[in-house]
Amino acid sequence: MTANTLTDRYVREVARRVPAGQRDDIATELRATIADTVEARDAEPGAAEREVLTEMGDPVRLAARYADRPLALIGPDLYPAYTRLLVTLLTTALPAVTAVAVGFDVLDGKDAGSLVGTAVGTVLTVGAQMIAWVTAGFALVERSRHRDRALAATRAWTPDDLPAAPRNDRRDIAACASAAWHALLLGLIVWQHTAEPYRADGRRLQVLDPDLWTGWIWPVLAGLAGLAALDLARFATRERPLALAAWYAAAQAAFTLPLAWILYRHMFFDPDFLAHVNGGWKTPDAFYTGAALIVLAIGATDTLKHFRESR
Amino acid sequence: MTPDELIHGQAQELRRGTVVLACLALLEEPQYGYALLETLTGAGVAVDGNTLYPLLRRLEKQGLLTSEWNTDESRPRKFYRVSPLGSRVRAGLVREWRDLTASLARLTKDDA
Repeated sequence: MTANTLTDRYVREVARRVPAGQRDDIATELRATIADTVEARDAEPGAAEREVLTEMGDPVRLAARYADRPLALIGPDLYPAYTRLLVTLLTTALPAVTAVAVGFDVLDGKDAGSLVGTAVGTVLTVGAQMIAWVTAGFALVERSRHRDRALAATRAWTPDDLPAAPRNDRRDIAACASAAWHALLLGLIVWQHTAEPYRADGRRLQVLDPDLWTGWIWPVLAGLAGLAALDLARFATRERPLALAAWYAAAQAAFTLPLAWILYRHMFFDPDFLAHVNGGWKTPDAFYTGAALIVLAIGATDTLKHFRESR
Repeated sequence: MTPDELIHGQAQELRRGTVVLACLALLEEPQYGYALLETLTGAGVAVDGNTLYPLLRRLEKQGLLTSEWNTDESRPRKFYRVSPLGSRVRAGLVREWRDLTASLARLTKDDA
């Protein structure tokens, strides 16, 4: 077969896409079959050949049929698991990774502009990586010979997977905003400690009392981290079990109670910072008491709201 | 979509599984690909070559058909015939087919 007829080219295109073990067998049979079909046509041989090959269709498709190979990247069996995993990753892991990346920038004392840059950049690159790797992984599973076994390994759907409540956009946005707020507070507290952003008489000062770092700031930070994590969990699951509200109350208490105490005992601001800002003026006691009460009130309202939402 | 197009599409779905049964019925006598296609078409079972030829190989892989190369003529041809397993499967499919046609005949007797 040195000739390079349309049939030769067609058979070659099919043959190189089927498993090597059957390649010659399929090629010989296909060539004979095409020749038989062309011969049976009344038309002039060249035109008949073209007609027959057109009817046989795209060699890629025909080869896939011979090889019994799916023409879809991710078939209907794996598709539900694929979308579910992607949605979970993009709505939980991606925000978490972004928050951490931004948090590190806050620690480094970057300005607001580069913080936004980091956030956008992280969402784009990490999000693209997540989509790419999950897709590649599922495509490989789809093509692997042990597809049936892999399929048995992915958890079968049960009615328990049905979402308890219809998707509530308002609540989702609220949960995300709350997570962002708590992460931002956490970042700001750490940032003002490490970056010492306030300049007074050639010295760099923290805003909050540095003594807090040997005591009361830790439950505040732990509470904030817990609140941010629980917000994300709230967004991811969309369910509102009582246990989640209880955890939320615990995190809220860890954050609010020490903070109120710190305010009430005038341990909030760095004394040097305060003296420089206030000049000769002394902050009245009522300010601290009021601030402590407001913090407590917000914490209590928030906790109550979560218990009301849960069922 | 016009009613004709809809009928055509649904009819293709209906025919899809019947090609296997027709092949298992016809290949009591060994036959090669193109001849089988002609016989099927003549018998009123329309099927495209690009569906039939890969299907024959799949049935062979499943053990329902056996094959043999015939090189006596100038053009080497692969002849397929039903295996003992293929005969048993055919008998089962014929039963299924009879049940199905009987059920559908009862359901659609008013449309006749």
